Amino acid sequence: MNSQSKRRILVVDDEITVSKSIRQAILSDQYEVDMALSGEEALKKEAETSYDLIITDLMMPGISGLDLLKTLRAARPEVNVIMITGYPTIKTAVESVKLGAFDYLPKPFTPADLRGLVARAFKSVQAEDRDKGGVAGSRIPAGYYYMLGHTWLKVEEKERATVGVVPDFLKTVGIITQLELPKVNEAIMQGNVCGKITDADHFVHRIWSPASGRVIEVNTRLVSDFSLLRRDPFLSGFLFRIETGNLEEDLKGLLLAK
Amino acid sequence: MSLHRSVQRFLDLPLRMKFVWSFLVVILFGGLVSLFFGTRLEHKTIIGLAQAKVRHDLASAWMVYNEKLNDIRDIVLLNAGRDSVRAALLAGDRESLFRALVRVRRDFNLDILTITDRFGRVVQRTNPSGIFGDDQSADPLVSRALSKETVTATEIIPRPELLKEAPEFAERAYLKFIPTPMAAPRPEDHEENGMMLKGAAPVLDEQGKVLGVLYGGILLNQNYEIVDRVKEIVFKGEKYKGKEIGTVTIFQNDLRVSTNVTDAEGNRAIGTRVSQEVHDAVLRRGIPWVDRAFVVNHWYITAYEPIKNSGGEIIGMLYVGMLEKPYIDLRNSVMLTFTGIAALCTIILLIILFFITSSITNPLRRMVQATKRIAQGDLNHQVKIGFRDEIGQLADSFNQMTENLKLANENLLQWGKTLEKRVEERTKELRGMQDYLLQSEKLRSLGKMAAGVAHEINNPLTSILINTHLMLEKLEKRHEFYENLSLIADETSRCTEIVKGLLEFARQNPPQKTYTNINDIIERTTQLLENQASFQNVRIVKDLDPGLPAIKLDKNKIQQVFWNLLLNACEAMPKGGQLTISDSLSADKKWIVVRVADSGVGIPKENVNRLFDPFFTTKSSGTGLGLAVSYGIMQQHEGKIEINSEVGRGTVFILSFPVEDQREDSAKKGGTYE
Repeated sequence: MNSQSKRRILVVDDEITVSKSIRQAILSDQYEVDMALSGEEALKKEAETSYDLIITDLMMPGISGLDLLKTLRAARPEVNVIMITGYPTIKTAVESVKLGAFDYLPKPFTPADLRGLVARAFKSVQAEDRDKGGVAGSRIPAGYYYMLGHTWLKVEEKERATVGVVPDFLKTVGIITQLELPKVNEAIMQGNVCGKITDADHFVHRIWSPASGRVIEVNTRLVSDFSLLRRDPFLSGFLFRIETGNLEEDLKGLLLAK
Repeated sequence: MSLHRSVQRFLDLPLRMKFVWSFLVVILFGGLVSLFFGTRLEHKTIIGLAQAKVRHDLASAWMVYNEKLNDIRDIVLLNAGRDSVRAALLAGDRESLFRALVRVRRDFNLDILTITDRFGRVVQRTNPSGIFGDDQSADPLVSRALSKETVTATEIIPRPELLKEAPEFAERAYLKFIPTPMAAPRPEDHEENGMMLKGAAPVLDEQGKVLGVLYGGILLNQNYEIVDRVKEIVFKGEKYKGKEIGTVTIFQNDLRVSTNVTDAEGNRAIGTRVSQEVHDAVLRRGIPWVDRAFVVNHWYITAYEPIKNSGGEIIGMLYVGMLEKPYIDLRNSVMLTFTGIAALCTIILLIILFFITSSITNPLRRMVQATKRIAQGDLNHQVKIGFRDEIGQLADSFNQMTENLKLANENLLQWGKTLEKRVEERTKELRGMQDYLLQSEKLRSLGKMAAGVAHEINNPLTSILINTHLMLEKLEKRHEFYENLSLIADETSRCTEIVKGLLEFARQNPPQKTYTNINDIIERTTQLLENQASFQNVRIVKDLDPGLPAIKLDKNKIQQVFWNLLLNACEAMPKGGQLTISDSLSADKKWIVVRVADSGVGIPKENVNRLFDPFFTTKSSGTGLGLAVSYGIMQQHEGKIEINSEVGRGTVFILSFPVEDQREDSAKKGGTYE
């Protein structure tokens, strides 16, 4: 495979050992991985070489991960950015998604976690290319709140809400082989893991919860029929229902579909 | 001295003196005023009465005086008509005339009795001088008698005429003026003319032709018959302290010629003169005088009226006077009586005042003493007043007040003791609070540190985790390091979990409080616990009060607390046991108290105090953050968490959640209940 067909990835972290480790974790015959030790360096390298994916630390001296994301989104909206967060200020991570980051990954993580995410990022690009023809059903209904490319939240009466996965997320997932959902009564936090999807490629995809609260009902039909996720993502394909704990604050980190 | 200072000095006087002075001023003022007006009124009345009496007396004097004149008239009229007299006059028989008339003069006590011819020439006098032939027709009375009139009048008789009758008359008339202080000045120093009551009647023949005139008279000078008669009739010789009360005087001009006023030696005060004042009023202007006057040497209440001659000229005065002294004495005695009564009344009043003021000031003084004693701290002192007037009531109120003061004082002492106790309690509480704050401060700083450490540790952990996994991917499972690397990977994952816990602990998310029934949270948590397969041999007993009020809680955080406690409790009973959860409202209804008790191994005393410290753990697999996090959550709810533990018997965690303040808080914000 020539370098032309290889995906170009830039890893940005102010700590060289971390950068190196990440590079080694994802380095393969499909990916060509460069490193930058600061936001400034990243922008310089990005100007020289157009990368397909940028993996950046959130907390860096100088140009922070978030600044880098904003600059990149303005210059090249088509490039995917994965945020790595050392000090999981989930708010910042959720905000980065709102700003257009493809996803985020709290430190520390295993190579498998990262590879799954990277694979999903590239899949999303292919999906977008396909979508240019226009596919119905991927639009999020008006009144739904959502974490870009992840989950949606439908607020119901009296501090209750339904949580589901947006179709964009599923586009990056292969054939679903396993679905992990929280138990009833379990507490969940916005931006933290609330479920995991394993696909046929053995990638484990974490599902970030769009809101904090307590699980009051799990979609049992979904457990026996994963296809509902894709067939009816906004109604019968929901994941679970929660009693919200901090809805007002949580909604600030979400987008509202119109 | 200013009025203000005088008033101030008066106000500073003792109460009794104030009363006395006020009463005295009123009495004196009233007394003086009434005395003044009373005296004036009395004086007016008494003197007025006296003056009326004097006027009346003067009229009586006139009666006597005029009676005398009438006597003379009768005498001359009767004798002029006598045949013998007419015949003798016709015959010119002077001898017979003398004999006929001299007896009449003597019998009727006249001084003169003289007969003239029809030309007014004296034919015969009855006095021994024997002078005759002189012309008397110029005499006003004689001239009128010649025209057949019978007249009487008081007339001034010049000295030559007196001498014609008898030298004795001229002697009687001659009076040297005795110097009198207030008399009007006169050029003469003596009087030589006389004043006479005189009457004249014509002697007529059968045809009614005037044959002559018979005239007679009484010389008033030094003749005291009239004045003494008047005195006798009017005053009946009354005396006052040896002095004649009434006096009568006949004045010739302003000279006393007949009087019973006496001088210092007791002699009749003839030769003295009337005062200028009376002289001007009566003699000059002819006005009667009624007033007090200083007569010779005493004050009299007097009346003067003019005496006129036949021509209407004022030639003298008739005077009646009453000694003023008896009236003055009467007035003075009345005044004295009044004053005496007033003085007596004042004394009686002052005595009454003394008792009244005593009845006021004595109790007041006693009360003042009582207040002093109370001020010195003697609260058992009572004021005793025998009667039930305002002061008695005041004393009762005062005693009541003292009683209350005593009670209040006792209460205060009691409170003081209670306060001491409370201070002690509060000090203990504060010490507890201080420990609590210290603990929370410790937690906060540790939290911060933990967050920092977690952050720093994350990067190396990432590298380790990635690299270990990369190596494991490369190695075959049979490789001699494969197990070691796996161990490294697992332990690194455990580090990850610890770091996660640390960050969880460090996260200072404000609690999201909603009204919640704490029983719901407990039920939910125990349900979760029952699902845990590892604790099937633990019996869970719940004793929950269904009547607990909903309070504001962060459900998720409180559930985490209960979860931590229940998990700890279960882990303390590895061989099974009983877990008791009970809740209730505290006695003062300010707290909801939840007790989580286990029948486990218990916690040694030395560990109890460190239980809430982060990273303190007795478990091989624990992070040591569970209780520290729980402690932090309880703090965010303003709640308390306490431990009672006994090794071998078990541990009780006691959680207290405040009730009241939050309710008020919610009422303000209009919070809803679930």
